[in-house]
Amino acid sequence: MRPNLILHVVAKFLIPLIILFALYVQFHGDFGPGGGFQAGVIFSAAFILYSLVFGLDTAEKIIPAHWLRVLAALGVVIYAGVGVLSLLLGGNYLDYTLLAGDQIAGQHLGILLVELGVGITVAAAMLILFFAFAGRGRE
Amino acid sequence: MIDVFIDITLLAFLAITAVAIVRITNLFAVVMLFGVFSLLSAGLFVVMDAPDVAFTEAAVGAGISTVLMLATLALVRRSQKPYYAEAPRAHRPWLPLIVVTVTGSALVYGTWDIPGFGAPDAPAQTHVARYYIENALSETGRAGELSRLRYPGRSHGDLYRGRGRTAVARWATLETGSQDKG
Amino acid sequence: MIIDTLSWICLLAGGALGIVGGIGIHRFPDFYSRLHAAGITDTLCAMLILLGLGLQAGWSLAAFKLALIFVFLFFTSPTASHALANAALHSGLKPGLDRDKREGLNHHD
Repeated sequence: MRPNLILHVVAKFLIPLIILFALYVQFHGDFGPGGGFQAGVIFSAAFILYSLVFGLDTAEKIIPAHWLRVLAALGVVIYAGVGVLSLLLGGNYLDYTLLAGDQIAGQHLGILLVELGVGITVAAAMLILFFAFAGRGRE
Repeated sequence: MIDVFIDITLLAFLAITAVAIVRITNLFAVVMLFGVFSLLSAGLFVVMDAPDVAFTEAAVGAGISTVLMLATLALVRRSQKPYYAEAPRAHRPWLPLIVVTVTGSALVYGTWDIPGFGAPDAPAQTHVARYYIENALSETGRAGELSRLRYPGRSHGDLYRGRGRTAVARWATLETGSQDKG
Repeated sequence: MIIDTLSWICLLAGGALGIVGGIGIHRFPDFYSRLHAAGITDTLCAMLILLGLGLQAGWSLAAFKLALIFVFLFFTSPTASHALANAALHSGLKPGLDRDKREGLNHHD
């Protein structure tokens, strides 16, 4: 038997479920507890579990560090972009009302995009932190 | 009644864990105790009707930060000598003790001016809460009083923390109910 | 009424097993037997408490979520116990045997 066979199998079984839960927290955050920050943390926890079980090098092949840096910036761009877009449409910064035809659809779309930006940035930043800490021992 | 009992138990465990974190010199055990501390505070937040904060505390405090501290621990020593064991002569606890006592009393004195937990006349309840209760449903189309309350606050930081949120929610149902009738 | 009684029996049995597990972790002499005590807390105690809470909730979304937690624990807690025991064995911790005690040897500290 390979060492850690059980860990590998269970991790492969669990990681999709953790990511699914992160997406639930992300998009159900409008109605219950949750939101972008928590979803980002849970999402990054899935990848941290992967790198703990399968090794840091394998994990860095899946999400290279330069991608993470781009993603961390992309989330902020989405957040700020929604704000600037509502400025360009003639409202206040982050005034979601003008993003869609009627007010309610605009509010819905606005909070969804902003939380998506928060989620992407938090997940990427947590992974950058983890790789920075865990990767130092190798050099 | 049972709420108070759970509060006291959790707070007592928090205090015990905090003292243990200070006293123990095995850093691995300290990291584990930090996780326990986060989990206990998450439980306390749930008792205080703040599931959002509890969620964050459990995910970040007990999950990610424990992993980060373990990763750090791989780089440093596993245990730490107490400061006074290395230099017994240089250890004079009186000045730090006075500073800590003065700061602690100042903080306790400051809490006297804070409105009571969930008090209806707290600034958070009287200032913006009323606007959200009156306008959130028409502006966002959200049903369900809790989400209706927190929805517009989301992007500006959650304003409804603690038991006050439930109080506001109950008040909101009363208000909207009376509006429907009138 | 019957369901309420059943759920309370489950909850109390789960709580009692939790206490037993705690006493076991405190009192058992070496790492592996302590792990055995912790395993009791992990599996049957948590399952009974979840079952009791599920009976309280009835057929609802909360019961479904409790069932999901059940599945999650069903896979993760044996894995955690396994990982702990495996790591201890790899780092050279030998199980403390009765024979060692009689011969006055002490492997487990």
